[in-house]
Amino acid sequence: MLCWLLAALPACGADELTIATWGGAYEASQRAAYFSPFQDDTGTMIDTATYRGGIDDIRDQVERGAVEWDLVDLVMADHDAACEAGLLETIDHDRLAPGTDGVPPTEDFLPGTLVRCGVAHSVYATVLGFNVRAYPGRKPSRAADLFDLQRFPGRRALQKSPAVVLEWALRSYGVPRADIYQLLSTERGLTLAFRRLERIRDVITWWEDPEEPARLLASGEVALASGYNGRFFDAAVNRGLPIQTIWESQVYEYSVWGIPQGSPHVEHAREFIRFATAPRQLAALSSRISYGPSRLSANALLWQHAGSGQDIRPHLPTYAPNFARGIPRDHEWYAQTRPRLEARFEAWLAE
Amino acid sequence: MTSLALPLRLLALAMLGCLLGGVVSLVAVGFVDLVLWLNDILLVSPRSRVLAGDSPWLPWLTVLVPAAGGLVVGLICLGISDRRPHGPGDVIQAAQSPEVDVPPRSGALSAVAACLSLGAGAPVGQYGPLAHLGATLGAMAGRFMGGGPSLTRIGIGCGVAAAIATAFNAPIAGLVFAHEVILRHYSLRAFAPITVAATMGYMVANRVFVREPLFRIQDVAVANPLELVAFMLIGVFGALLAMTLMRSVLYAGQLSTRLSLPGPLKTALAGAAVGLVALQLPEVLGIGKETLRFAIIENAFGAGELALVIVARLLLTALCLGFGFAGGIFSPSLLIGVLFGALSGLGAAAVFGAAHSPLAIYGICGLVAVAGPVIGAPLTTILIVFELTRNYDVALAAMVSAAFANLVGYRVFGRSLFDVQLARRGIDLRLGRDKVMVQQRRIGDYLEQDFTRVDSATPLGRVRERLVDDANSEAYVVDADGRYLGTLSLLGLDLLERREVSPSAAAGDHAARESVVLSPDHSVWEAMTQMRDFVGESIPVVADDVLVGVVFESSIVSAYMGTLRSLREEEHASA
Repeated sequence: MLCWLLAALPACGADELTIATWGGAYEASQRAAYFSPFQDDTGTMIDTATYRGGIDDIRDQVERGAVEWDLVDLVMADHDAACEAGLLETIDHDRLAPGTDGVPPTEDFLPGTLVRCGVAHSVYATVLGFNVRAYPGRKPSRAADLFDLQRFPGRRALQKSPAVVLEWALRSYGVPRADIYQLLSTERGLTLAFRRLERIRDVITWWEDPEEPARLLASGEVALASGYNGRFFDAAVNRGLPIQTIWESQVYEYSVWGIPQGSPHVEHAREFIRFATAPRQLAALSSRISYGPSRLSANALLWQHAGSGQDIRPHLPTYAPNFARGIPRDHEWYAQTRPRLEARFEAWLAE
Repeated sequence: MTSLALPLRLLALAMLGCLLGGVVSLVAVGFVDLVLWLNDILLVSPRSRVLAGDSPWLPWLTVLVPAAGGLVVGLICLGISDRRPHGPGDVIQAAQSPEVDVPPRSGALSAVAACLSLGAGAPVGQYGPLAHLGATLGAMAGRFMGGGPSLTRIGIGCGVAAAIATAFNAPIAGLVFAHEVILRHYSLRAFAPITVAATMGYMVANRVFVREPLFRIQDVAVANPLELVAFMLIGVFGALLAMTLMRSVLYAGQLSTRLSLPGPLKTALAGAAVGLVALQLPEVLGIGKETLRFAIIENAFGAGELALVIVARLLLTALCLGFGFAGGIFSPSLLIGVLFGALSGLGAAAVFGAAHSPLAIYGICGLVAVAGPVIGAPLTTILIVFELTRNYDVALAAMVSAAFANLVGYRVFGRSLFDVQLARRGIDLRLGRDKVMVQQRRIGDYLEQDFTRVDSATPLGRVRERLVDDANSEAYVVDADGRYLGTLSLLGLDLLERREVSPSAAAGDHAARESVVLSPDHSVWEAMTQMRDFVGESIPVVADDVLVGVVFESSIVSAYMGTLRSLREEEHASA
């Protein structure tokens, strides 16, 4: 506030922050919910850069000593890797805004969201969606139904990756959510998971572009598909396509704000994190795009979808009934097992 | 008694159950979480082993962790009375006899030792330690309320019921376990607080912390009525497997006593053995929750693998328990039972073809068949199954197995491992509660000094005068060091006189040793059985040959009658 008054003075530091984020509808929602209000509030202009994930760009900037990005919108796995490599500033969570009713941040944020070098702001999920016209009678409702060709025939579109589908495969054997990664850590567990995949091998259409599953579902080419919850929401609510989301065993993960080590505007970046993770801003984002806010009091503020006027809450990964049936993606586990999983997945594809 | 006293006491009992249920449940949840955390940082859980990746240290740590864990556990156990971790057997003993307690110190140290044992990957159980921990807290609360041994026993029952209800998400099973295994009787007075405690335990485990149950089996049904024969056979052979497990545990214990090594080193040795086997067969590490999950998934294991894991876990569990690791036998028997059931299921699939029940039902039948005889609680195991699955078909199949397992196990081995362990310590629970209580009472407490003691050199005539003076009919003859030589009765003196033995002859030359001589360590029960051959007035009691006193038949009989009366009062009291 003070800086806004004194904006003309160079001593007040940056009048510009560069934020690396993901573009598209997501970035547009971020601009409306975070960037523009922050500019209005502080006078600090916000510029965005395109970020495509990974930590190579951040490492490059930090090592060159020329940090261009003041903030990066990271996935949790990248946060962990970057933080471990010393590429990010540490974050003091006590400086975050309190909840709407004055609850301290540590009690208001969801478990696992306050990490050493960042603050998780939103929750997104990989879910199953189905074409409602493909199943006029009994509708699929669980991840296990993906593997049940008898009750739910039809082609499936799945991401060409071992991630998430292995979790669903074990769920289909009745393994409790809490034990999924323990069991996937054994040879026996992986064998069982791939055996399930084998059962539907012939009806799988593999996708790589996240836009694909909604398109394949809408066109009727597949009956069931894995995809990101935001894309299915957009297709169903904004575009009126006949797609319904299955929340049972959604695999959710967090997006995290991180500040590259040596950013010239560290204090402003911290100020932005405090501003953008306040309950009101988080709720403003979630009323535009169906990513769940990372704190309880922001979820309590939510009601209507800004575009359609529909109740947005059942479409969010953090909606209590959805969240309770979700599996938190174990990124620590993935970081260690990814190469082996992918090799095994490739080998299975080639069989 | 005022009219308010009764309602107040009822309220106090209900409060005892409620508070204990809550506290024990929280402690139990903490215990289980601590074990899981230790499994993670000590590289016992599969996930932590994968995260350790291809570290060259992993194989070394796999052996080192259980071995070092064993060493520490062994050292801790040196601080416990009897130098062994305490468990459900000690709780049963305490619940049967007012003289025996569940001391807080042994309880705390045993719990720490069990936590470390499980944390370091020993294939032992967690439910026994949890039950013992619950009993320790319950006994403390009972003592604190100052209601004497009977209230302490209710406290023990509450603590155990809450611990089992928490651990299995099964309140009815907790309630029945406390009665069936620990208290061994029903009393109206104990029933209400124990029920409240079990319910509280369940609420804390389920509503406050949301716990996934051990099993989730939905929509399964027994496919073929003929399979009941299979469940029966599982019962019979499961009981035999249970006996093998129990005999192995006892044998490993004997082996350990024959091994002349310091206790902690023996435990470390057992730990190292677990680690070495785990290098090839990681399924033997820890409680084995993952193995349990896999066992009821169709085709997760081949028949050979199942047999191998059963044998390896059985032997290593016996080794660990016998060599001093702290932990129970219930979870190991549960896991071995489920694996055995799955193996039987594979056999049944070969016999019945496609029309056989899901593997999960066979796993459950194996569970009750092995775990039931081990803890001597067919009712509890059936109820655990029913509360976990909430499925009548499964419970029915489990009952068939439980019935036959119980029949075989009880006939051939005994009621449970705890009962056999206690019997080896001289407490035979088969006799019934009254006998157990008189077994616990020592003759030393009933000694009388009101008897005629004469020196061996005393002339016979003098002995007769002494007896007349004391109004006794028997004199006990001792030597200069007080050693018991024999008894002279008035009748005996008359006979000697008739045979014209001189009244000046020394008493020591003519005293005859009684056919029944007791020591102060003999139990009242042993005295009662020996008394059948005894015709005298009082029985001499000697310690190291020295006469320390006598007991009268009447004291022994009244001790027994007193025990019967206190039992009757306990079982029929309402508040």
